[in-house]
Amino acid sequence: MIEVEDIRKSYRGAPALDGFNLRVADGELFGLVGPNGAGKTTLIRILATLLRPDGGRARVAGIDVAAHPERVKGMMGYMPDQPGLYQDMRVFEFLEFFAEAFRLPKQQRRAAVDLELKRSDLIGRRHDYVEELSFGMKQRLFLAKTLLHEPKLLLLDEPATGLDPMARIALRQQLKELNAQRITILISSHILADLEDICSRVALIAGGMNADDGAGQSVVELRQAGLSTQTYDVEVLGDAAAAAKCAVEIAGVRILEVQPARMVLEIAGEARDASHLLAHLVRLGIEVVRFDRRVATLEDRYRHAFGGKAR
Amino acid sequence: MNPMIGKELRQRMRERRGWILPSLYLVALGAVIAFAYFQMTRRTFRGVQGFEIGVGLFLTAAYSQLAFLLLLTPIFSAAALTIEKEQRTMAGLLTSLLGPTEIWWGKFAASLMYVLLLLVAGLPILSVVFAFGGVGPREVGMATITTIVILATTSAISLYWSSAFRRSVHATAVSYVSVILMTVVTFIIFAIEMSVREGSSWSALPGKAKAPLYFNPFFFLTVAFQPVNQLFPEWTTSLEVFVLLGVLCVLLTLRNLRRGGEGV
Repeated sequence: MIEVEDIRKSYRGAPALDGFNLRVADGELFGLVGPNGAGKTTLIRILATLLRPDGGRARVAGIDVAAHPERVKGMMGYMPDQPGLYQDMRVFEFLEFFAEAFRLPKQQRRAAVDLELKRSDLIGRRHDYVEELSFGMKQRLFLAKTLLHEPKLLLLDEPATGLDPMARIALRQQLKELNAQRITILISSHILADLEDICSRVALIAGGMNADDGAGQSVVELRQAGLSTQTYDVEVLGDAAAAAKCAVEIAGVRILEVQPARMVLEIAGEARDASHLLAHLVRLGIEVVRFDRRVATLEDRYRHAFGGKAR
Repeated sequence: MNPMIGKELRQRMRERRGWILPSLYLVALGAVIAFAYFQMTRRTFRGVQGFEIGVGLFLTAAYSQLAFLLLLTPIFSAAALTIEKEQRTMAGLLTSLLGPTEIWWGKFAASLMYVLLLLVAGLPILSVVFAFGGVGPREVGMATITTIVILATTSAISLYWSSAFRRSVHATAVSYVSVILMTVVTFIIFAIEMSVREGSSWSALPGKAKAPLYFNPFFFLTVAFQPVNQLFPEWTTSLEVFVLLGVLCVLLTLRNLRRGGEGV
């Protein structure tokens, strides 16, 4: 559905995207993560036809977004990081305006507006002014507007920012339901737990380029059956740095984090390899007081990829 | 109908200024005409005829109306696009299937319709002059057409500034500077030219000396009252200048809207 090849974009000489590549399959719910200023918003705005790339190519369903923006607009829904709403319009007026702006035939407009009001749970607020809605309701209203013309692709830039936990849960549920209807979704977010819950894959971006998670992967598989690596949280008596040196003597062990008496490491292989590692550490006189397996989270990979790149 | 026009008119009429400004406009126009009437009738004892009062009131009304509307037009037009940027709603418009031309036309038509509403609302006050005679439908028609052309151009200029700036306050300020350039500065330049060519008659003035006045809305309105056979070349030249200026602003605004995503 989305193909981005060597895309470049600069703002007054400062590169925002510097040769980024991405492929998102049809029907996928795909995440985009990276530190502030990584180029996520610029990429999404290029795909949304709001920005023209300086170089490279971006295609949606095989259509070049720079060459045929009108065709892309018809199949795409875009939700910016700060969605703008007409506060002095009523909820149904806002949706009817955009239904008309997306050229829905007159006889379909009312049905499309009603469907989206139901889907966003705003049917009881249809006559209220937009300014009277809560922040979460406004987000839902904007998403409803984005879905009016039944897009095949949704581009969501930080849609959960500022939402309370219940609203976030509802948004995640809604995105899962939309994805189940074969709508492809590209979502950028700093809330990694949300992405982990809903996305099948996540691309890492930093400095406008593909970033890797330290294991050579720029796209993290989150729904892969039987991950080949396991992460362990190891607590020792004494110096964890020395223990880490001993641990890497075992093939397939990679240290993710070292604290004074604790380390997080990744082992390529099965539970038996972890057992060998533990035995190795004990044999070398390391006093291990905790050796817990934990599922490698997106946050671990994020910290490994961007740990020193806070902006 | 272009959905932008409906949206714009609905939003404008919901604003408090939607009824405050027309009210203030009518009060101000009525006050000016009443003042002019009392000034003129004081002199009737010295032999001023009724039709002279009619002509005097009509000219007062036409020039005051143009002055008021030139002051009001930037309020409606200069913020039309910047407000979309300030509210962050421009991205929603640009990613819909509305093209730049539809967005521009929606904004322009709504602004102009509102100004025309003021023009129409002022007609009962203007109609007072018919009671005195001396003014025919042709003068009223020419004044109305000329005023509409001037306001349409002013609206197009303000919309261009609205597309060029991100903040309404900047676009509005520059729009007022444009109005001052057209009304005051062009007149000052012409006055300087005249002082250099002391004693020259209008017909003897070279085109270069007259040129600034063709940009002046009050000159355009003044030459509209010439007899039909004298509309050429002054009124027609002014008309061409205003239409060309308006078209240039439209093209520049559309160009800005086409690359509008860079600024929102």
